[in-house]
Amino acid sequence: MSKPRPCLPAALSVALLLSAALAQQTVTVRVQVRDYADFTRLTLEASAKLETTLSRTGATLDIQVDSPASLRLQTAPVSSRLVRSINWGRRGGRAILTVELKSSTFTYNAFTAGQPFQLMLDFREGEEEAKPPAGEKVSAPPPIARASAPPASGVRTIVLDPGHGGIECGAKGKLGALEKDVTLAIGLKLKAIIERNLSFRVVMTRDKDTEVSLENRAALANNNDALLFISIHANGSYKKSSNGSETFFLSLNALDEEIRRLAYFENTQAELEDRIAAREEEQDVLRMILWDMAQAAHIRQSSRLAELIQAELNALLGTANRGIKQAPFKVLTEVACPAVLVEVAFLSNPDEERRLVSEGFQNNVAQAIYQGLVSYIRLYPPEGGR
Amino acid sequence: MSRQRILVLVVLSLTLVLAAALFFFSGNGEAPEIEAGVPGPEETPLPPEETAMKRVILFFLSEADGLLHPEERSIVAGPSVEWEARRLVQELIKGSQAGLISPLPPESELRQVFITRDGTAVVDFSREFGDRHPSGSSAEMATVYCLVNSLTHNFKPIKKVFILVNGGERETLNGHISLTQPFLPLPSLIAE
Repeated sequence: MSKPRPCLPAALSVALLLSAALAQQTVTVRVQVRDYADFTRLTLEASAKLETTLSRTGATLDIQVDSPASLRLQTAPVSSRLVRSINWGRRGGRAILTVELKSSTFTYNAFTAGQPFQLMLDFREGEEEAKPPAGEKVSAPPPIARASAPPASGVRTIVLDPGHGGIECGAKGKLGALEKDVTLAIGLKLKAIIERNLSFRVVMTRDKDTEVSLENRAALANNNDALLFISIHANGSYKKSSNGSETFFLSLNALDEEIRRLAYFENTQAELEDRIAAREEEQDVLRMILWDMAQAAHIRQSSRLAELIQAELNALLGTANRGIKQAPFKVLTEVACPAVLVEVAFLSNPDEERRLVSEGFQNNVAQAIYQGLVSYIRLYPPEGGR
Repeated sequence: MSRQRILVLVVLSLTLVLAAALFFFSGNGEAPEIEAGVPGPEETPLPPEETAMKRVILFFLSEADGLLHPEERSIVAGPSVEWEARRLVQELIKGSQAGLISPLPPESELRQVFITRDGTAVVDFSREFGDRHPSGSSAEMATVYCLVNSLTHNFKPIKKVFILVNGGERETLNGHISLTQPFLPLPSLIAE
């Protein structure tokens, strides 16, 4: 204590500043539990990123929450099939949420999402490891999208687009399978998996055998401010032996050279719009061209999404890797978010046609697309949604 | 004096006229190669009497590698690029003579080919071109680029191809590939 005097005011002010800063940084943590068709989801939502550690003993699961900021802890009353109670406690200065389940035989999957921070725990009854149930019934997907109030302000929409529909059958297999049926079956399975595991809203361009124009499919994505657009197709080729999976993103094949250059290299939507605006005098023409070119501003992210989905398709299906490709797909041109078109396998190939109509294969495809989507979201976490 | 002046004037004006003539004639030398194509009824003139032939290369699909392979063919040489382009497309519809796959529906008929000032070949097919197409992304890509690569490969003035069906714009070939934009050639689909 050789020179306590000059130090004390400084230390005091630092402490004051720190506590002021911390006081400002009070983080509200909200927990709610909700039952879905075949699982129970606990959502822990906070206004800032938290470090969480999970530890399980018997029928209880402790969630330890670490944060430099002070926490304001909130819980809603619990009434659930699987969860008996949730209680906040403190141990060694750390906040711990104790989740007590009704049975000690349960499994759970944990997921986090950013902005606002969310930790989600999906509880299921039983001992077995969590895995995508094979041959599950998809007729009653979990009612997340229909939940009365969206869980949080930041929930974004993923649009799934099962190709064709109604009188528009798409490619036809030799054994009679139609592209429109295969795409719908896979689309519904993918929807169920996303809703079971992620806190995104899923909107389908069609959920039954109806005709939807390509323009309306893109519009549905744009009107919902979609985070991603995934179009599902089954391929058809003149070449009988064609086989394998391909993931496409849009090729700006015959667009104006400068727009192509901008789209491929450094660009922002604004820059692209400025350049187009500078080239076009008439307002109507301008608007039409912008709408037409909506996908141009998202080409790079679309190609990343395509890569990640294709990698999972190759790994999971064991189909030949045909790689990611570009083609001028009409349905992608007007989508104003990262967008890909997955050609799952070839209906024109009888071997693959047989696989395409099987539930197991359809489940695997849905699972692979889902895994690719998760990798993408990890790479590009959605910003605070609108 | 006045005579001299007149002489000077005459010489001057002659020089001017000569200069002007030179200027205009040299300017005329670069007439555009392609006529803005408005197809007229007189558009199918008789081939020249000696029926000169022209070697062209058609691209068809290979079962082996799924790429476009060249196949040589002779067409009657004609008076214009449009005239020859029509012959070439008709040969594409007839299909391969070397066992390659022909990705143009054989039922389709060619209605018209004309070439715009910017080098776009506008190719108009009957509705069978879309309606009788088997559909499927790969099949549609094969059809489009068999046509586009064949036309651009054989005719320098053709830079891109715009496909019409039954005289009008069609949204997609048969559910997938957009026909609302002209196509540039895609050499990567051609086998080495």
